Amino acid sequence: MKNFHVAIIGGGVIGSSIAWELSKYKLDVVVFEKGSDVASETSKANSGVIHSGINSPPSSLKARYCVEGNKILQSLANELGFPLQWVGKYVIAKNEEETKELERLKKVGIDNGVPGLEIKNGTEVTEPNVSCFAALWVPTAGIVSPYKFTMALAENAAENNVKFLLEAKVTNLKKQKDGFIIKTSKGDFQSPLIVNAAGLNCREIVSMVEEPDFQVYPCRGEYLVLDKKHSSLLNSMIYPVPPKELGVLGIHITPTIEGNILLGPSAEFIDNAENKKTTREMMKNLLNEAKEIIPAIPDKAVINAYSGIRCKLASPEDGGWADYRIEESKQTSGLISLLGIESPGLTGAPAIAKEVARMISQSIELKSKDNFKFARTKRKRFSEMSAKEQSDLIKKDERWGRIVCRCEQITEREVIDALSNPLGAKTLSSVKYRCRAGMGRCQGGFCTQHIVRIMEEQFNMDVKNIKLRSPDSNLFYGRTREVRDD
Amino acid sequence: MTEEKEITCIVCPIGCKILVKTDGKHIKNLDGNKCKRGIDYAEHEALDPRRMLTTSVFVDGGEWPLVSVKSTKPVPKEKIFNVLKEIRKTKVNAPVKSGQRILNNVANTDINIVATKIVKKL
Amino acid sequence: MINQDVDVAVIGSGPAGLAAAVSAKQHGTGRVVILDRNSWLGGILPQCIHDGFGVEETGESMTGPEYAEKYIAMAEQQNIEVMNETMVLQFDRKREIIAVNKKGIYKIKAKSIVLAMGCREKTRWSAMIPGDRPSGIFTAGVAQAFINLYNLMPGKNVVILGSGDVGLIMARRLKFEGANVLGVVEILPYASGLPRNVVQCLDDYDIPLFLNHTVTSIEGRNRLEQITIAQVDKNMNPVLGTEKQIKCDTLLLSLGLIPENELSKNADIEIDEITGGPVVDQNLETTLKGVFACGNCLQVYDIVDMLALDAKRAGKNAAKLTTTKKRKTGIQFVPGAGVRYVVPQKVTEGGTTQLTLRAEKPGEVSTLRVIVNDKELFKKKLPWVNPANMIKVDVDIPSEVIKSGQSLEVTIND
Repeated sequence: MKNFHVAIIGGGVIGSSIAWELSKYKLDVVVFEKGSDVASETSKANSGVIHSGINSPPSSLKARYCVEGNKILQSLANELGFPLQWVGKYVIAKNEEETKELERLKKVGIDNGVPGLEIKNGTEVTEPNVSCFAALWVPTAGIVSPYKFTMALAENAAENNVKFLLEAKVTNLKKQKDGFIIKTSKGDFQSPLIVNAAGLNCREIVSMVEEPDFQVYPCRGEYLVLDKKHSSLLNSMIYPVPPKELGVLGIHITPTIEGNILLGPSAEFIDNAENKKTTREMMKNLLNEAKEIIPAIPDKAVINAYSGIRCKLASPEDGGWADYRIEESKQTSGLISLLGIESPGLTGAPAIAKEVARMISQSIELKSKDNFKFARTKRKRFSEMSAKEQSDLIKKDERWGRIVCRCEQITEREVIDALSNPLGAKTLSSVKYRCRAGMGRCQGGFCTQHIVRIMEEQFNMDVKNIKLRSPDSNLFYGRTREVRDD
Repeated sequence: MTEEKEITCIVCPIGCKILVKTDGKHIKNLDGNKCKRGIDYAEHEALDPRRMLTTSVFVDGGEWPLVSVKSTKPVPKEKIFNVLKEIRKTKVNAPVKSGQRILNNVANTDINIVATKIVKKL
Repeated sequence: MINQDVDVAVIGSGPAGLAAAVSAKQHGTGRVVILDRNSWLGGILPQCIHDGFGVEETGESMTGPEYAEKYIAMAEQQNIEVMNETMVLQFDRKREIIAVNKKGIYKIKAKSIVLAMGCREKTRWSAMIPGDRPSGIFTAGVAQAFINLYNLMPGKNVVILGSGDVGLIMARRLKFEGANVLGVVEILPYASGLPRNVVQCLDDYDIPLFLNHTVTSIEGRNRLEQITIAQVDKNMNPVLGTEKQIKCDTLLLSLGLIPENELSKNADIEIDEITGGPVVDQNLETTLKGVFACGNCLQVYDIVDMLALDAKRAGKNAAKLTTTKKRKTGIQFVPGAGVRYVVPQKVTEGGTTQLTLRAEKPGEVSTLRVIVNDKELFKKKLPWVNPANMIKVDVDIPSEVIKSGQSLEVTIND
């Protein structure tokens, strides 16, 4: 049975941040991810916002990690090569009454140490499509692509010998005197330390070894994605004054790194954490609410819709707000759990990872690796290169000259690079999230067949194993015609 | 014995619903057509419905894994799945020429199956 | 950068591009080049293995691949140059095309350009279908390519949303390949495809057609497991209480086609909001001088014959550089009562103008009229109308009418 120093359960942004943090040290680390790629649940389906820290009460863990994470993110983005833009955000007040709430947010922000906050009157807001009474300007809010951020962490961790096991669902944990036996769908493993970063499944993991003292209240948020051609509708993020209930921030309008605009999320407590359906009512609602902020949004602009589930530790009856819990179990030594990591978890992830590393250092001595490999500098996309750069690359490798995705102008070479990722993720989604093929307005109508051909011919994949996103999401049932020689 | 069939005429997009009475071999009565062209169509449909059949055949060693094929004549409707079954079992080697005969007298219909596409050898 | 000078550059090698290129060459132009992103010629024709192509054009019914090969042979015979696996990245008002293939980046200067980029399929989100996001949801054309070209079977138990011709043809095709086709769901009160296809693709195999219905939810965490369909009211909203669950692993979407005009838009060519294609004049010239449009990127045709005839005109005009010397604004065609759209959208010279148009809704005996300033310029009785069938008429437009600057209203009344 393979033995690791640390076993991380969950390849979301939290698990991947911890994996990356630990990859700097001389440790054998494994990550078990039940999906077919990292960032396959909540870490993929969120607003992609780097929060400043104006929304969480001072002295909460949420505020602390958010503010700390916010400060680290730029250097992390430089080091790992994922895109980040400090677009800033406006929290807008529709009337004088709501302006009081802006004052309150500003005060919270100042207490948390958020710089540059400024209340502006409606005419000073630099968003021509937004009309409001007043707004709080938050310059230290930014955007990232949440899955690219997570993938960058995980891929660099993998390059530094962290073992990522995809489609490996942890089915049982057994505590023995010298550590845990971890049963997974990919075999059994051993480790003295478990990091439970299973997100929505954090309670399920804890209950494998002890009676959990908490509940998880899944809260669904639906989003709509607008066609890139409407990207000029706004420059910064636009948030309403947060609703009083549910501990959420309200439906906002967010530019994305890729140029699309996001509308959402809604907030709806649901019984089943796997119910990621979008609904007709909410799709209508989102569009209506967004139009109240930006009336110029056209009805036909939507090119995709999805939802993500927040992992909340407080019920709606209790107001929906609870702080994170990041702690080693008192009953089960060696089990470090990260519970209720919802927004601003994406922002806080790098700071949370440092905290977890510190906790681990209390039982294992952390010695820095002397051969840590820095992430390869990310190449520009073909479509962003000059004609000279494009020509030079095509001369070196003709696959740069073959466009596979017409909407986003992604080349065969870029698809092959995406499929060659160090995690070994090979679904259509893992291609899409790494190089954007299939993400444009035709949503894969043209490129799917070409990507499938590349998977078959250049990666020798069995057609029955070609998947859309998750372990059982096969695309094909086999061949139309199979004639065997008898 | 009189049989009644309602046939949707496809000669033009009006799509007349034509009620045809037959004794199995001859037309006894025909009603509902707005023009003469419908008569001919309804007669054929009632007594001997046939369809052009198009599908594909497995190709070995070609630039494409399949070659599209068609029947040389319309196939009696009730024989379509028999014909398809035989085609499914068939394999041809590349190169394939358009018009090349793939199957003779398929499923004893006296109809041949020919390729409708060029598939070059890989 | 590889530089080239050509007389006519045709973007796209589907039926429109091939017909336009062949026609351009026949009308005496020098160097004709077709640029196409695929490794083959013919666009989607090779995957349309059913027959019925070319009946009106040639009197002979062909399959898609046969129809394509007819034009490919002509193109070869006329030494039309072909650049396959070549993606046009942009062109501009000087008619300089930037394209890429495995040999490098090209700058192609063309005396005229024919746009024949075809169209793309509407996706799940254009119909805003809520629910899960499992695998097993394909547009009908993509499924057609998988089955007919790539030898891949995308489903076993299939529901088709949308009764356009591609959807109907795929219903039969899947049935032939042993799949269970559980039904075709259509939001309108009538099928949007041709009646022949309703009879020969659905009725022949007892495949149910659910009219006035739509898909209201999709379920399946990994692969599609179930869909919910419901009846719709007059405003196309689902009627509560009429929901019905259908267990299936595959949903094919045949929701309609959108002309592909990203290149045209980037070149600032004016686009008709209704057709989704460029605004053209009687010569099929776009608002950019020397750039002509044809095929499904101009407007979505229902049969290839009519598409090819128009494409040949575009090719001929591109060859003769039939550009109006001074760009006259001309007068507009305005779709009036009972008419969804008219192509061309404008006319700049008197004479016989070929109009293609679509009716708003199906009807029996009707009258098509072209009206200018309350006066009837043209009248034609139609035995029936159906939005699925494009209407084509030749209308004589006197020069005085053009000079008057008044727009021409086209109507269809009972």
